[in-house]
Amino acid sequence: MGKNTVIKVEHLTKQYLLNKSLLPKSDTLYGSFLNGLRHVKNLSQKQQKEEFLALQDVSFEIERGDRVGIIGRNGAGKSTLLKILSRITPPTKGRIEYTGRMASLLEVGTGFHGDLSGRENIYLNGSILGMNKHEIDRKFDEIVAFSEIEKFIDTPVKRYSSGMYVRLAFAVAAHLEPDILIVDEVLAVGDAAFQKKCLGKMKDVSSSGRTILFVSHQMSAIQNLCDKCLYLKNGKVVDFGVSEKIIPQYLLSSQALNSIVLSDLVDRSGNGILKFLSIKYKDGNGSVITSAIAGSSLNIEFEILSSASSVLSNINITVGIDDEHAQRITQLNNNNTNQIFNQVLPGVFKVHINIPVLPFKGGRYTISLFASVNGDIADWIQEATVLDIESGDFFKTGRLPDEGQGSVYVDHNFSLLS
Amino acid sequence: MNTEKVIIDPTLSSFLSIKDVLRYKSLLNNLAKRDFLVRYKQAFAGIMWALVKPLINIIVFGYLSSKINNTTNTTTNFLYVASAMLLWQLFSNVFNDVSNSIIGNSNLFSKVYFPKIIIPLSTILVCMVDFLISLLILVVLFIISGQQIHWQIILAPFFIALTLINGFGIGLYFATINVKYRDVKFIVPVILQIGMFVSPVILPTLKYLGPLPEWLRCVFCLNPMVGAIDGFKYALFGGDAVYNIYYFVLSICVSILFLFIGVKYFYKFERNFVDYI
Repeated sequence: MGKNTVIKVEHLTKQYLLNKSLLPKSDTLYGSFLNGLRHVKNLSQKQQKEEFLALQDVSFEIERGDRVGIIGRNGAGKSTLLKILSRITPPTKGRIEYTGRMASLLEVGTGFHGDLSGRENIYLNGSILGMNKHEIDRKFDEIVAFSEIEKFIDTPVKRYSSGMYVRLAFAVAAHLEPDILIVDEVLAVGDAAFQKKCLGKMKDVSSSGRTILFVSHQMSAIQNLCDKCLYLKNGKVVDFGVSEKIIPQYLLSSQALNSIVLSDLVDRSGNGILKFLSIKYKDGNGSVITSAIAGSSLNIEFEILSSASSVLSNINITVGIDDEHAQRITQLNNNNTNQIFNQVLPGVFKVHINIPVLPFKGGRYTISLFASVNGDIADWIQEATVLDIESGDFFKTGRLPDEGQGSVYVDHNFSLLS
Repeated sequence: MNTEKVIIDPTLSSFLSIKDVLRYKSLLNNLAKRDFLVRYKQAFAGIMWALVKPLINIIVFGYLSSKINNTTNTTTNFLYVASAMLLWQLFSNVFNDVSNSIIGNSNLFSKVYFPKIIIPLSTILVCMVDFLISLLILVVLFIISGQQIHWQIILAPFFIALTLINGFGIGLYFATINVKYRDVKFIVPVILQIGMFVSPVILPTLKYLGPLPEWLRCVFCLNPMVGAIDGFKYALFGGDAVYNIYYFVLSICVSILFLFIGVKYFYKFERNFVDYI
């Protein structure tokens, strides 16, 4: 290990075994009862496992004071890397050596309990993050001041507004004093003011010579904070170096991927007066993205070619979104929104769709495209392309919503009427 | 700047390290405090509930026991059942809570690293507080009945500790299985239900082992709670609570063995819990 190296990662590999169930899943009580019996009967037989390499032979070294952004597409292995670095899960092969105290913030407010008061939660959360009682005592007033909840410090946190909750949770995390800080991007979503506070705090931390590892899809945040980047793809390191070099490399590859060419697709129907040429996904700031984040804004842009000889009217565009089980989740339809296009000139035109707050959970979705003119099908491509969505902080609470509780998020509010 | 070096690799298998536990002492306390505070929040009678369940059990089974025993000395019989029942309840709570502790707190260790043994250890603290509160019942019963206390009382903490060891060892084993197979949730109550009737809770050991052949008596005494309960009764009342000193020692050895197996098994899989939760 070099003199200034704080983290040394050598040939890191993580393999997951996916259980391949030989028995079909059953929907009925009787069926699942039978399956239970079969399971017990088959206990002695070895289950077939499918191997999946989340990380393959990853090596890099980080020096003291480095601010490293970890970037890559959905499923590139970023989260797995963070989990191994923060000792939550062990590697299958390879080795990591680091010096100093490490703290990882994969979510804010881990272990917060609604029935406990703000004060009690500060002690609980602080000790979960690795602070001892003495440290928390010393920083208690600072934490309370930072969170701006002095008046409610002895109120159970379930009575807090979501904003107060996040502020308190982040205040505790912000007063950790680790030598190495690992931050997942969940922290960097939330409202703009919170993001700013969060990034500002991280900058403070790094200016005092500490090392930061930061995962994000937002290149602006990475550019702002990180001087080095680790670019992962399919569990392997593509490149590691200064941000100015790596970020353009990543953006280029993602642009190539994301301006998906539709004109070459042959499996389409319709009279061909209109033809989808390409589709692009952009975030709220208008930068091209490889995957959208749940809870944030998504813009979809199409290039469409009109090969009619005259101006077209009554153009209907429909985008169907299916989930992994080929279930139709929803349809974006300009007929529904009463925004049928008229007066479209021949040649290439662009259509832009905005979803202000993306309400779908993380995963891969399939996009089907449909265009009609005066009710005649002009172009129809089933399963034209995919849309990757990353889990995100939909409710702006600093935490990811629970997995496995449905596929759609609905904005809602609770209040207690006693 | 802290200069401690940490190495993460696949072969590194951790084992119960007192140093680690001490370093996370405040987490241990805070988790126990959370569980204790939360349990009685918004309950009007609050901590009184810690007395209700053991009290009802003592009344019901004390009455039952004096009927079965057909004894003339109901008071003494009641005291026997009360002391055994409180200790059994401690074991039952520790076993049940420890076996559910890991999956119940998976949201913590899937986001932050800390030695996972802290979680079941904090569970013991909570159960211990409940037990100390319920001991009040015994104290009151002793005063009312005018029962004398002998020098053996100094042995009582040892048998309480033995009960904790029993619950913790077996509980850890089941907590580990529970991570992958949630069947544990259904199995533990069954074990506890059967366990109470094959332990000297309602009847003294001698009484229910009486009609059995010698080898079967020996098998029954492999139950680690036989040693703990008989020992506790001996500490409180003296006399012939311990039915056979060899079987008594055997039962204590089984306790230690279970603790060893439980801890060993827990640490074998501990690092991979997150991948199976």
